[in-house]
Amino acid sequence: MTETTSVGTEFPFGPVSPDDAVEHMKRLLADRPMTKVTMPHGGDLWVVHRNRAAKEVLADPRFVREPFRTGERVVPFPVPFPDFLRTTLQFEDPPQHTKLRKLVQKAISPRRVREMRSSAVAFANELIDRMLARDGVHNLVAEYAVPLPIEMLSSLLGVPSSDREKFERWSSSSMSVAGASDSSAADMAELAAYMTDLIAKRREEPRDDLLSSLAHAREKDETLTDAEILPIAFILIVGGFDNTANFITTAVRSLLRSDEQRALFLTDPDGLAPTAAEEVLRHGGFETGNPVGAGGGLVPFVAKEDVLVDGQLIAAGEAVAIDPVSTNHDPATFEEPGRFDITRKDNPHLMLSHGLHHCLGAPLARMELQVGMSEIFKRIPGLRLAGEAEARSDVLTQPMTGLPVTW
Amino acid sequence: MPKVFYTQPDGSERVVEAAAGDSVMQTAVRNGVAGIVGQCGGVLSCATCHVFLAEENAGDFPPVGEDEDEMLDCAATEREDNSRLSCQLVLDDGREVHVTVPEAQL
Repeated sequence: MTETTSVGTEFPFGPVSPDDAVEHMKRLLADRPMTKVTMPHGGDLWVVHRNRAAKEVLADPRFVREPFRTGERVVPFPVPFPDFLRTTLQFEDPPQHTKLRKLVQKAISPRRVREMRSSAVAFANELIDRMLARDGVHNLVAEYAVPLPIEMLSSLLGVPSSDREKFERWSSSSMSVAGASDSSAADMAELAAYMTDLIAKRREEPRDDLLSSLAHAREKDETLTDAEILPIAFILIVGGFDNTANFITTAVRSLLRSDEQRALFLTDPDGLAPTAAEEVLRHGGFETGNPVGAGGGLVPFVAKEDVLVDGQLIAAGEAVAIDPVSTNHDPATFEEPGRFDITRKDNPHLMLSHGLHHCLGAPLARMELQVGMSEIFKRIPGLRLAGEAEARSDVLTQPMTGLPVTW
Repeated sequence: MPKVFYTQPDGSERVVEAAAGDSVMQTAVRNGVAGIVGQCGGVLSCATCHVFLAEENAGDFPPVGEDEDEMLDCAATEREDNSRLSCQLVLDDGREVHVTVPEAQL
């Protein structure tokens, strides 16, 4: 813990200890529901801090993405917004968004994901078997947290096993900060070409997978075009590989750093996994020991007309985004927001967002996170950290690339 | 003012005073009623606001629509005859509604 604390109400604030960040946000949230900030790219943006106000914004159809999609307006963001991300389903508005999302939603519904759970458990155990076959230090990210979501999403989409390695690279490239590097642009072109080719194959010879069903989905006698299927496939790849791997790594890392919560988790990994997973999503990042800053946010919207939210006018044409860090630590919504509590019951965090753009793969991400954390601690209860985590800073989500563990 | 009575799977009940025009889902989310997630905000794309509607209230709302019917098939807890997505249960003034929250939404 730091000796000197400067707990103000300014936003954004620089990296401070997690405890200080919680105190800082408490004062900020008491002061106002949102702050207008000038982003390094794309101009001004309202950043919403309060949990309830954030949900209001996310559920209000008067906030849209069209001006970003068409390029009429630059996305206000801490870094140049990667062009590739603007081609995903996230940037569609109703009615096109509704039509596309509906087609894929059922394939990743809570029900379907329950049916996929046993194969996730089996694959997690295969990965653990491979780890246990050799003593010494292992990289949890490469050997466990990344392969599990890649396997699950590839099976869902219908990507052949032999091609799955490529996806690791493509998935990181899709999140490249600046998006300017030649190799990432080339990777994205490769991914688009690969997916287009795979869609063509599934049109000819459908199988029992999501790409086949999208390729054969019909809306008023019109088959979906490649241009309609690609944004769906892209968002699943972006969210389904990199983000889920990060969640699993954060889950294991935060439990390894909290002896008290780990001891509790080990008493009943399967029973506690559902609430533990939600708590990792809400607060796990604070438990990894890294300093916490604020200023980032989820993808912004633009107000179509004047909208009053929690007493603050968001004028027509203004951009607005949710800050997941402060909305997930709002004392009006969460009791003791700074406490890491894997048994927390009411946990309406916004890590997977809310409203019509809420995480398309949320049920799948949750299931993989639950399975990922419970299986490894069931099989290797003596798991422990064997060094510092490594992360990539040139990628938007700053994914951890290494977490040395041993037993 | 409408009132919603939420019964949890363990039998405990919570009564919430609602605003006319709000749905049973919105009322739950705004008041922190456990077990109703409502992640999509009411656009029929998540199936996480599933409830069992009391028989006495069956006639108080329009019947299950086509999109709601499809999404009910996606819910984590097996649907029953009285299953509804609570985002579709919009409250009239003075209405008293009883719902039971299922075991799981996710």
